[in-house]
Amino acid sequence: MIKFQNVSKTYNGNVKAVKDVSFNIEAGEFVILIGPSGCGKTSLLRMVNQLETITEGDIVLNGKSVRDFNKIEMRRKMGYVIQSNGLFPNMTIEDNVMIVPNLLGWDKVKKRQRYQYLMDLIGLNPDEYKKRYPHQLSGGQQQRIGVARALAADPPIMLMDEPFGALDPIIRTRLQDEFLQIQREVQKTILFVSHDIDEAVKMGDKIALMRHGELIQYDTPANILLHPRHEFVSEFVGEDRVLKSMSLYTVKDLLESITLDTNVSSTQQTVHEQTTLRNALSVLLSTNSQKIKVVDIEERPIGTLTIDQIEQFLQLKAGQKGA
Amino acid sequence: MSKNKTIAFTVKILFWIAIIVFFIWIFKNDLLIHVYQEPSRFLNLLTQHIIIVLISGSIAILTAIPLGIILTRTKFRKWEWLLVNIVNLGQTIPSLAVLALIMGILGIGMKSAIVGLFLFSLLPILQNTIAGIHSVDEKTLDAAKGMGLTPLQILWKVELPQASYSIFAGIRTSLVINVGTAALAYLIGGGGLGVWIFTGIQLFDNAFLLSGAVPLTILALLVDYLCKGLEFLIVPKGIRLAKQSVTNNN
Ligand SMILES: Nc1ncnc2c1ncn2[C@@H]1O[C@H](COP(=O)(O)OP(=O)(O)OP(=O)(O)O)[C@@H](O)[C@H]1O
Ligand SMILES: [Mg+2]
Repeated sequence: MIKFQNVSKTYNGNVKAVKDVSFNIEAGEFVILIGPSGCGKTSLLRMVNQLETITEGDIVLNGKSVRDFNKIEMRRKMGYVIQSNGLFPNMTIEDNVMIVPNLLGWDKVKKRQRYQYLMDLIGLNPDEYKKRYPHQLSGGQQQRIGVARALAADPPIMLMDEPFGALDPIIRTRLQDEFLQIQREVQKTILFVSHDIDEAVKMGDKIALMRHGELIQYDTPANILLHPRHEFVSEFVGEDRVLKSMSLYTVKDLLESITLDTNVSSTQQTVHEQTTLRNALSVLLSTNSQKIKVVDIEERPIGTLTIDQIEQFLQLKAGQKGA
Repeated sequence: MSKNKTIAFTVKILFWIAIIVFFIWIFKNDLLIHVYQEPSRFLNLLTQHIIIVLISGSIAILTAIPLGIILTRTKFRKWEWLLVNIVNLGQTIPSLAVLALIMGILGIGMKSAIVGLFLFSLLPILQNTIAGIHSVDEKTLDAAKGMGLTPLQILWKVELPQASYSIFAGIRTSLVINVGTAALAYLIGGGGLGVWIFTGIQLFDNAFLLSGAVPLTILALLVDYLCKGLEFLIVPKGIRLAKQSVTNNN
């Protein structure tokens, strides 16, 4: 759906911010753009909605170069969350959130419903904040309004530049979960800039890891963690990359390739089959026994799980796909 | 904070006492006598004065704001420096010289006075319009562009509201100065309250001088308050509140 074809960006004739980047984003895919500060993430993102010109190469959207679109119309179909919110100080929160629906001339009832929905989504009281102004909100609240504003007209494509950057861990996790939830329902095509590899692993269908303007690896989170194709990738994801990869899988995933011992005793610690392997391991390490009991949604016992089995599974995964 | 408040309050009290003493002195000595002895003449001069200020001021506003907007468009940015300097130069030439020059071209009368005052009023508004638009938060422009606002929508919904505070400050300064400077209209036969003021100066007659000067001052204060009122109505509430919260925190 979005094809980056040998895209380069040079500022003022000498600052090479993006160098020969090529990759494809499929419709409905959630792609995380990650890398150290100054590696060209924002520049790459801003070339998609033509806030920056493309120096070389091309970005093709549904078969047509973004250069050939009517900029105004194209941008209204792409939600854009700017890195530092950029709310309009002269407008109330409601007017800020509803700016694009207002431009598109939605009717009143539809606008009111949408505003309520969006505010509930980002966890701010619709009525309480309606008539407030941006300067009367905290940084994190402003950032959330920025996200709501970008979502307002329900655009099929979202460009999000570190939308959860200034949030505390609790709100951040909540918004991440909410966002994944919406994504499952509406399947937007999302290009999402992040600094945080945990966020990337959690949210992304694919991760594009950049350094010094170059695309180092474009892959699924599992492959980025378990099959880094470059020393920089393993360095960037950290030494605990195997541990991180464990949050990608649930006990249920493990059950597909490993059979558990069905001999369960009632005294063992219990985990649900939807638990991530990372959390299951954590439970295993914190109990005295070598085994934990796995149960399904209806709390029916499935079997017992050991550390060895988790290790076995991870080795299986590390052997698959890659290369 | 409370110390500053006390000082500000004391200064205000002293100021009002001085004003009251001044007016007692004026009325004791019958120094505003011309105002109520020749009411029709007074009204005539006052109307002339107001007409000069109103016409020159509104033409200046209608010229300076669009000019400031045009000069801040990316296409025309390179001309901004040149034009501001030209207008600046016009400002450094003494008002009297400019008036004399205009009189040389347009002759004696109200028309010349209006043209002169229009030129004087231009710069503060132009400068403040340009400064106001330059001070608009880049991030908001970026967000607006990214969400698909047209350049005109960006100007109208993002730039001008944020610049409105500064633009209004320019209009206020400009008009208040205009009211005062309009007294010079007399020198080129433009009429206005300057007629009595200059007569007073020439004849060492305090009654003439003050019958012109006191209403002139009141007019200037009135214009100032009027502008403040308009500012309250036109500058968006969010901008006003944000400005207040910034000043309160300092
Ligand atoms: N408008 C500009 N003019 C000149 N150089 C720029 C401009 N914008 C970005 N750059 C440079 O291009 C490079 C990439 O910048 P970019 O903002 O894309 O990085 P980033 O990956 O988004 O960084 P961060 O994580 O800190 O936001 C940097 O070296 C930056 O200094
Ligand atoms: Mg950035």
